[in-house]
Parts: sequence; structure tokens; C-alpha cells
Amino acid sequence: MGVLLGLEGEATDAEVVRAVLAGDVERYAVLVRRYRDRYARFASRMLGSRDVAEDAVQDALVRAFDRLADCREPDKFAGWLFLILRNRCFAEKRRRQRQERPLDSADEMYAAPDRPDGDYEQVERAHALERALQHLTPEQREVFVLKHTEGLAYEEIAGVTGATVASLKMRMHRAYDRLRELMKEHL
Amino acid sequence: MTTGYHPLVKRLLDGELSLAELPPELRAEGEEALRLVGAADRAPVALSPALEERVMAAVRHAASSHTASLGNRAWRWLNTPRDVELRLRVRPWTVWAGALAAAAALALLLGRPAPQPVPGTQARGGMRDSVLVRFVLYAPGARRVALAGTFNQWDRAAAPLVPAGRSGVWTTTLALPVGQHQYAFVVDGARWVADPGAPAVDDGFGRRNSVVAVTAQGAHL
Repeated sequence: MGVLLGLEGEATDAEVVRAVLAGDVERYAVLVRRYRDRYARFASRMLGSRDVAEDAVQDALVRAFDRLADCREPDKFAGWLFLILRNRCFAEKRRRQRQERPLDSADEMYAAPDRPDGDYEQVERAHALERALQHLTPEQREVFVLKHTEGLAYEEIAGVTGATVASLKMRMHRAYDRLRELMKEHL
Repeated sequence: MTTGYHPLVKRLLDGELSLAELPPELRAEGEEALRLVGAADRAPVALSPALEERVMAAVRHAASSHTASLGNRAWRWLNTPRDVELRLRVRPWTVWAGALAAAAALALLLGRPAPQPVPGTQARGGMRDSVLVRFVLYAPGARRVALAGTFNQWDRAAAPLVPAGRSGVWTTTLALPVGQHQYAFVVDGARWVADPGAPAVDDGFGRRNSVVAVTAQGAHL
């Protein structure tokens, strides 16, 4: 039993995926614990709401289970799950736009006054940036979040999204200009 | 009307230049731009502790539904009435010979212990729902080609193809269970290639998977 417990903590994604596909459904909880918070920030920044992000992460994890047999490279489960979540975030934004129900841009995330820096101006600027991000195209918002929130290099973003570095830079540079315009009161 | 950032300032934001490398007249714009990206919130976001249980409940439900649907399909298959036509043209003496053979077999069975299942026979029995499917890919210059799909959990090492001399043609024959399968060829261990001779579906993540439908009558593209 000790060996089993040890395996659960240390098992690679590929090992867990194969165990789940072989019928050990409960092992999927390992992947849920491993990725739920890792992708929460990306989803929150993309969708502008922690609650909507939580739904998106939950749906992505369930959808990934449903399609686990389609995961060609189990050792790259993390990237595969990210693509599912990314598609889910894009679909949610499109759905909201069709219904003309803009998300409550970051209000809930910034309502708490206990930001560690305690700088009101910075808090206001962060709040304004979150609102402004919701006015970018999903593709522009994604590259901004991955680069400036998640800290990925262009090459890494290209690796997870499939876009070229040149097109990513073009999106980002347009996003900079748009954000400058949207945030002129706060800079 | 706010104008866009200077291209050098954008390179600053991309991390390709430092503020000190900007011309003096662009430094104020650079500082403003850094304030903008500096406002990005990098604090971790914690989701509800109940999320894991919700996901696992959905997963268990999906798994049990899948098992149930397989059972339902099998039950429907067993219960669906089918027209079966048997045409026999026999000579009278074969009827008598058959009856004698049956009687002899019955006598043998009654006089011997029950036969034990032979492992090989069991395996053959298990293969009755499988159909041999031949896969061919023309890949001149490839060092190795394999077949990965839903039938082998996309394992790139499970089903290597064999080259037909130096023709560039690679082939393999697999026993696939009845059902629909998605697959792709893996060339040189890294390049995924859809079967040019089969229909393909988007896997939802920008790649194409080929599709083969296997029935008891054979494989259908």
C-alpha cells in the first residue's frame, strides 16, 4: 500500500493517464489536484472573473477526462489540458459577447482591500488593466496574459498556442497600443 | 487621442531592450509603458476546495455512463431480431451419416471428462469481434513509421510499420475491435501525419486525426 501511495504522489502525468485509461478512474484526482490551481490564474485573467474561471477549469478537467483516449502524448498532458482550457475560455468569451453580457471585469478579484502592496494608485491601475484586458480580442488578451502574467517567453507561448512568434508579437504590439488608449487615465 | 507606443518602447515591453537603451526622448514613454505592464496581477488565484470533488463526481458519472452505454449496446445487439436464412442442399445419405456422427460424438462426450478450455482457442474466441485492417503509408525517406490511435492509447511505439523494400511504402496489419477508431501515423518518432487515404476529423486542438470504422464485415473509410 505504501508503494501505491508513493506512486500517486510521484507518478508522471503519462503514468496517471495510462492508469486512468486502464480503468483506475480515481487516479484522475491526481491530475485534478496537480492542475486545478496551476491554470486558475490564466483562466481568471482571460475571463475577468474568478467564478467564471472556476467553471471553466472544472469543465476543462471533465472534458479532458471524456477525451482522455484522444490524448496522443500522455507525457504532454499539461499542454493538452491547457489547450482544452484555452478553447473553453475563448468559447465562453464568444458566448458572452453574443449574449451581450460582459463579465464583471475583475470587480470581485479586486474588491478585497488587502493587496500586499497597499498602494491605492497601483490597485486602481491593476483594476483598470483588468477591465481594459476585457476589451482586447481574445487572442490579444491571451498573449498579454501568458507573457505578462504567466511570465512565458514568446517562444514558449508559440509552443503552447501553435502560433508563430512573429504573429504573437504583432498581436501583442497591437494590444500595447490598445491598452495605452484604454488606460490613459491611469498611467 | 492617444497614439500607440513607439516601436522601441514595444521592444522594451517585450524585454528586448532596457530603459537605459532607449533614446532619452523616449524614456518617459518607456516608464509609462512599464507602469502599464507592471499593473498585471501575478498573484495566484485559489479556486474553491470543492472543485476537486465536483470534477471527480462528474468523472465517476461519465465513467459509469460509458460502461452502462456499452452494456446497453451489447444488450440491444443481442436482443435485436435478425433475419437469418439458411439454405441446405443435402443428399439423403449425408443426413444419416451426420446423425451417426452426432451420436458417436455424444457417446464420446458422455464417456469422457469435460474438456478444459485451451488458451489459444480462448484467444481466437476473443478475436471474433476484431477485424484485420491493413494500413499503408507512402513515406519515402522516413527512418521509421508507427501507427498510433485510440486503439493503442496513442502509443507511438506499439504498432511500427514495416518498409516494403526501398519503395517508400510502409505497411502494417492490425486486429482492431469493431467500432470507430481515430489514428495517425508517426513518422520518425515525432511527426504526426494523417492518413491521406482516410477521412479526418479535427481533434479539437488544431490537428487532424484519421478515422476508420470497423464492422464485422470489414473496415470502412
